[in-house]
Amino acid sequence: MSSTDRDRILSEFIDAWNAGRRPDVDDYLARAEERERGELADALMAFLRFAPTPEYSDEALAEIRADPIVAPALAAAGERAGLLPTLFVRLRARLGMSNADIAGELVSSLSLPGDRAAKTEAYLGRLERGELEPSRISGRVFDALARLFGVPRAELEGAGDLGSWTMPAATPAFRAEDDAAKAAAPHLDLLAEGLATPGSAGRDEVDDLFLGGR
Amino acid sequence: MPFEPDHVLLGRFVDAHERGDLAVAATYWERLAVNNFDRVKNTVKGFRFSPGGPGIPPDEHGSAASEAFLRVIAMSAGFRKRETGRFYAALATCVEHACQDFGRKELRHQRRSAGSLDQRYEPDGDAGPYDAALAAYDADLRRQSKDALDEEASRQDAERLVAWGIAQIKNDNHREVLELTYLEKLSGQAIADRLGIEPNNVYKRRERGVLELERILREQH
Repeated sequence: MSSTDRDRILSEFIDAWNAGRRPDVDDYLARAEERERGELADALMAFLRFAPTPEYSDEALAEIRADPIVAPALAAAGERAGLLPTLFVRLRARLGMSNADIAGELVSSLSLPGDRAAKTEAYLGRLERGELEPSRISGRVFDALARLFGVPRAELEGAGDLGSWTMPAATPAFRAEDDAAKAAAPHLDLLAEGLATPGSAGRDEVDDLFLGGR
Repeated sequence: MPFEPDHVLLGRFVDAHERGDLAVAATYWERLAVNNFDRVKNTVKGFRFSPGGPGIPPDEHGSAASEAFLRVIAMSAGFRKRETGRFYAALATCVEHACQDFGRKELRHQRRSAGSLDQRYEPDGDAGPYDAALAAYDADLRRQSKDALDEEASRQDAERLVAWGIAQIKNDNHREVLELTYLEKLSGQAIADRLGIEPNNVYKRRERGVLELERILREQH
């Protein structure tokens, strides 16, 4: 293939992109001879980095939103814990590690006693299931996970910040019945008493790391 | 929801953040991510660990694109710029980092050459490969008088980083074709008709110009 053919394939990709026809890099690379694909890929990447986003049609946008990569990501972003559980599971899978493996690494990097690995693993399970409020997780845990996964800490924190735990919905306005305060008072007293009563289980440094906030 | 350009969504995203409306900001960022999904997916497919070298194995493209797209959504936590050129630079950095991170699994036993895996990542740093160009661009902006930033210039803010990069290209023929490609979004045939040249010349100038523009923005010659 001459360089002119490579130029032409790149140019046809650019035209398809700018026209909003959603070209696929693989289709264009497949049209090049194998020995030319690396250079063509570099040129395609150079274009894509700063290419203007095309003016997509409504149909094209609907297709993108329905894509098997996009739809679950957007759905996960709306969960209470945001994208953190999904991203955590994906990063962990990429490294081929279990929660037990990660707990072992955290115990080591956070200088925790060795017997805290099981409890750390349990917290990671809660994180994975979206049962842990991201804003309560210590910055030290985010730092350690970021180092382990090789990603910026801000991306992990940002993934959690997208959740409704961090972004409360607008407060609904309602009008209570006249006797509502009187009826609720005993329940509130009971709740306050419960909150003020010390728990029987001792809170340790692992609890602080996963529940103590940043 | 109808299409809205990236610069409009970015502006609304930053406005919402500035007034503390994080839920609304998240909806604008989500639409930005959707607008740019094809850029993410194609970048993963075309990514190479070294120039002209191997990329992510095809059977891993889906997983790598999923991770990259999640990280682009999570990127909203730290991004507050209004300009699409800066957004594209940050997005390219994020996706390419995701690809490189993904490649660690494949390549961890290999010795890496300069510019590849080991060189690029500082866990707590946020420096990107386009930072030098962004700094030079900022310096140019500061040199401009405020009076020069009229309505038309404001309208073009979205494309200014790319336009600035194109203006740095010394070859008039390459620069001309790039302006028509990036800013006017003309097809190769339309550019050939406009300039009175053969389509083959457009293709050649486009390829050289695209590579030069990316190099300028990456290294700031």
